[in-house]
Amino acid sequence: MPASNGSARFEQLVLPLLPSLYSHAFWLSRSHEEAEDVVQETISKALRAFDSFQSGTNFKAWIFRILRNTFLTSRTAIAASRTVFLEDQVDLLDVSDPSPTPEDHLLRLDNHAALTEALESLHPQLREVLLLCEVEELKYKEIAMVLDIPIGTVMSRISRARRTLHEQLRQQVGGSL
Amino acid sequence: MIQESQHLRSDQVSAYIDGELSSNEAQDLRQHLATCHSCALRIVSAMQLKAATTRVSERVVVPPEALSRLTAQLRPEAPKRPARVYPIRSWAWGALAASLIVVVSLIGWRETRQSNSLSAELLDQHLAVLSSGSSPEVVSSDRHTVKPWFQGKLPFSFNLPNALPAGTTLDGGDLTFVHGRPAALLLFTIGKHRASVFLTQRSANESAPVSLETQSGFTIHYAYTHDLRMIAVSDVNPADLDLLMTALVEAQSPR
Repeated sequence: MPASNGSARFEQLVLPLLPSLYSHAFWLSRSHEEAEDVVQETISKALRAFDSFQSGTNFKAWIFRILRNTFLTSRTAIAASRTVFLEDQVDLLDVSDPSPTPEDHLLRLDNHAALTEALESLHPQLREVLLLCEVEELKYKEIAMVLDIPIGTVMSRISRARRTLHEQLRQQVGGSL
Repeated sequence: MIQESQHLRSDQVSAYIDGELSSNEAQDLRQHLATCHSCALRIVSAMQLKAATTRVSERVVVPPEALSRLTAQLRPEAPKRPARVYPIRSWAWGALAASLIVVVSLIGWRETRQSNSLSAELLDQHLAVLSSGSSPEVVSSDRHTVKPWFQGKLPFSFNLPNALPAGTTLDGGDLTFVHGRPAALLLFTIGKHRASVFLTQRSANESAPVSLETQSGFTIHYAYTHDLRMIAVSDVNPADLDLLMTALVEAQSPR
């Protein structure tokens, strides 16, 4: 494939993804400056590695994986890596709720500030998986590729993220009743 | 198969609302929901929560400047980072050379055209003065009258020579516009010929293109000082016009 065709195709694929790449980089780094740096480096790495991308597979998942790995080597990520994340396996111990009551499902979802606060307080790894699923609308299989983890772990992280959010919002309702 | 006595696991609820279950698994789950009010409620609650969190965590908007920088990075023809070297093929060198030639000749054409249109404009003004017969705004051969008259009327100032070359007299002055810029028009008589000298502010990046030009039998003489551009138009012989211009240029330098 001539180099010019390759880079034209690369441009075609990346251009529509710039807003989501930037947004995700911002969510990871919490800084506009760093988000731009991360996306820039991602583009440059992805272009160099474009030959290894197999057409027919998901380009968005492929470049999000590069974005994430780029972020992991950034200052912010290295500083944040001191935060210990509980093993995913712990999550499997308590996945069912034997006696949910109707009150358990009563959530105040119209309170934008409370929801934002709940999302902000989620562990970064849980927030990340939720963003990939809900905002970027990636399938579990694609998220597994981005995060380089088994699909079962994706499933349990998403479920855990939602239960944590649910619990936090339910407590707010309890507090206001 | 989901037992009726069991409730759905959280990860099953999530996988269901994310559309991640196979059709068989989804079928099983729906059968369970038909009989389990509690789990049906959990599904509804989970869907509402998903919709709410998706709404809250909307994409962060890329600042326009950042987006244009990133877009530029994607386009090899306009690389943002000079560190990246793009190989240029021989045909590209040819194209580059061709476009350079076009650009250079366009610049040349534009300068010639501008200078030509300026000369034409000044010649028109000079001829208008000659043919109208009307007196200039300030009629005086005294530099102490002419110079103060311009003060406050122009965004720049200039000096008049103490002594003009032999045979040259100052007739007066007028305000005019040259290419949209305010100008002082000084009228002289050299022998039996009339001369118009236009003084304008010199723009910062203005070059000094030509010093002498002939158009329709008239000499157009350009002279520059640090701040001023002076252009004389006359049918007098160029050497006499040059004497006047030299005197005018010298008058501008501080003594």
